[in-house]
Amino acid sequence: MFASKGKRLLQGLLVLLVISMVAAGCSSNNTDKPSAAGDAQATKTLTMAWPRDIGPMNPHLYNPSQLLAQSMIYEPLVSYQDGKIVPALAESWTLSQDGKVYTFKIRSNVKFSDGTAFTAQLVKKNMDAVLHNKKLHTWLGMIPLIEKTEAVDDTTFRLTLTESYYPALYDLAVVRPVRFLGEAGFPEDGDTSKGIRSPIGTGPWVLSEYKKDESATFTPNPYYWGEKPKVDKVVVKVIPDAETRVLSFEKGDLDLIYGEGLISYDAYKGLESTGKYVTKLSEPIATRNLVLNTMNAKLADLKVRQALSMGFNKEAMVEGVTLGLEEKADNILPPNLPYANIKVSPVKYDVEQANALLDEAGWKLPSGGGVREKDGQKLELELMYDKADQTMKGMAETLQAEWAGIGVNLRITGVELTVYIQRRKANEFDMNFYSTFGAPYDPHSFMTAVVQPGYGVSDTLAALPMKAEIDKKIKAGMATTDDKARTELFGSVLTTLQEQSSILPISYIKQMAVYRDNVTEFKFPSNRDEYPLHGTKKK
Amino acid sequence: MGVYIGKRVLAIIPILLFSSLLMFVMIRVGPVDPAEAYLAAAHIQPDDEVLAAKRHEFGLDQPLLAQYVQSVGRLLRLDFGHSYLSNMPVWGEVAQKLPATLQLASASIVLALVVSIPLGVLAAIYKNRLVDHVIRVFAYIGACVPVFWIGYLLMFFISVKLEWLPVEGRGSVQHLILPSITLALWLIAIYARLLRTTVLEELKEAYVRYARARGIKERVILYKYVLRIAIAPLITGLGINLGKLLTGAIIVEQVFSWPGFGRYFIEAVINRDIPVIQCYVMLSVCVIAGSNLIADLLQLFLDPRIARKGRASQG
Repeated sequence: MFASKGKRLLQGLLVLLVISMVAAGCSSNNTDKPSAAGDAQATKTLTMAWPRDIGPMNPHLYNPSQLLAQSMIYEPLVSYQDGKIVPALAESWTLSQDGKVYTFKIRSNVKFSDGTAFTAQLVKKNMDAVLHNKKLHTWLGMIPLIEKTEAVDDTTFRLTLTESYYPALYDLAVVRPVRFLGEAGFPEDGDTSKGIRSPIGTGPWVLSEYKKDESATFTPNPYYWGEKPKVDKVVVKVIPDAETRVLSFEKGDLDLIYGEGLISYDAYKGLESTGKYVTKLSEPIATRNLVLNTMNAKLADLKVRQALSMGFNKEAMVEGVTLGLEEKADNILPPNLPYANIKVSPVKYDVEQANALLDEAGWKLPSGGGVREKDGQKLELELMYDKADQTMKGMAETLQAEWAGIGVNLRITGVELTVYIQRRKANEFDMNFYSTFGAPYDPHSFMTAVVQPGYGVSDTLAALPMKAEIDKKIKAGMATTDDKARTELFGSVLTTLQEQSSILPISYIKQMAVYRDNVTEFKFPSNRDEYPLHGTKKK
Repeated sequence: MGVYIGKRVLAIIPILLFSSLLMFVMIRVGPVDPAEAYLAAAHIQPDDEVLAAKRHEFGLDQPLLAQYVQSVGRLLRLDFGHSYLSNMPVWGEVAQKLPATLQLASASIVLALVVSIPLGVLAAIYKNRLVDHVIRVFAYIGACVPVFWIGYLLMFFISVKLEWLPVEGRGSVQHLILPSITLALWLIAIYARLLRTTVLEELKEAYVRYARARGIKERVILYKYVLRIAIAPLITGLGINLGKLLTGAIIVEQVFSWPGFGRYFIEAVINRDIPVIQCYVMLSVCVIAGSNLIADLLQLFLDPRIARKGRASQG
């Protein structure tokens, strides 16, 4: 009865649908294409994605200012390059005999992006602004040790420390908080901890267009003292979702995906398998370790720790959980870091030997039982992990299954990140995962964690018979100005730690990059927090 | 009717108070200390001295009751404090992000109504025929499939494969199409089914038979009488579903990089930005309570018996 009416309605709907599709089709022709391909060819635009807005770009503060933008706009006095400290805004430096006074010769041809000169006075002004907010930056070992900052003349800056501290130069190479803002960027009272007026730096890029939460466009700094960037524009789109980033790349809206954790291992493999894009893995940037807490009576026994170390197939686990995108690690610190290249004999997967060690330690399998016992106690342990981290979860599950085979009952507990940090700080765990910091923070940051409580390492090593000796060697290594002596001291510490099996290296973490074949000269940076857009070209 | 409305408006106050209390308790009993969360969000090593200073600044060293009274006082002044992450006033940031969310939500509502009404009517007219089956299968899928999955599918086929629309972002009408379709889909599914049922029920009513007997055209009966009545539950449904629309918007904004309030909330959750989370929850409570009230008032307008009942119960 309503058939004719219905038909007309249906027809109307179809017409509407067709019109909207045509409209969408037509308009997408003039809105979408230019983003990465068409227009970009003329102006050479490199488009990439970032999960968050770049933030206020304050060189002296942390989140929400993003390392990406900070490293493009601001520069350090010295840079970290392939394990060495090289000149940046300081063209040379000298160190006093006692290792306390650094005198930097400032590059004289450097200008900020507003055309004003970069001087030693501004180095001091920036340094003082950072020190004004000292408490916030004490994690950086050099900051609490600064006694005096001086602008000797326009091109000479002097930094005096209260004690000799070799990593000072490495600390100066990090992306924040010691980078340099131009005079006009400072607020009236000079206190940058409350905010900056505008992001004026000496770096190769300036922010030329900004849509908060949507995109940021960087163009070359016309006053840049170094080699000019090879592209005319870098557009950073804010795309919070990892899958959307991949789809956007596949559509052609992005030229490059680069940054830690920006896409999943699955997505990387998926893009690689298409054969259409360049996929690259970096050298190891950090080690994912498993920490066994020696303050737990069961783990205080070296034999138990060694048995656990050889009681699981590390290679298979790393390959399986990370799809081969991380690499089995034998060293606590990647050997490509300064002072970390020590010879280590890899621990072999040996279930028989692991069982024998546990037997020797007095942990026996009861007849008919699956879990070893000693003095009426079961060999039960807890492994805590960050529940949002899928790699940790996968590894925890594998370890649980593997160790069950040698009679160890492993409970795995996924916790919220804040709880994870709290428990680690309070040393309330049997085992957890610990990733090293990477360059330019290591090895000194790792060494600090071994000495100082609160980072989840020092406290777990407390029951080692040679802990006091380890601490002594680290302190001596940090203070000496003799490079050879430091190599020996740190080498000895790392070797002892490896032998003690309280920190078990699992895998080397690598950075991933995926880009189109029109992107060339892409190079992974040595500094984990820098972004390699300076030398990158686009065809 | 005025008294009824007044009573309903006043009833929102205890809901808001209860929500604020619940939120206050949840934050305090949770494992996360707001001062520690602040430092973690700012990437600062939680040194005891800094921690104590922050606790004092947030008033966390005061008795719980005093803290609660203060927090209610601030809420009443619409002062949600400063974001832990950006150090900017939360209300200012929300005001910046709200237009994008309102744009997305209103586009979705309009789309949902425009599409679901003809679909529901068609399904009713063609009851148990192919068109009806297709619409019912579509409605079933639309109601079951997760919002984010639909988003990815649309992106993959419409944007990546066909290259008709942009994958993500905001700016033009084209950018609005996929996110609003994604957000509207489950609403369309619910409404199409609801409308089909109500239209079929209304068609059985005596007044339809009477109208037909009087020789009124079927088209007039359908549009002038049946549809007007059948659409009423849709409006009530919209009030109830507005809350769900807000939660849906969180996911859609995240998936389509839509720079709205929902995405702001997700970032706040990741960073434990408690003032922002508080603001989001309180606003959501207001929106849900407010939209339910408006829906009830519309019902009242459509069916005055409710108001009469209200008066009668007052004696």
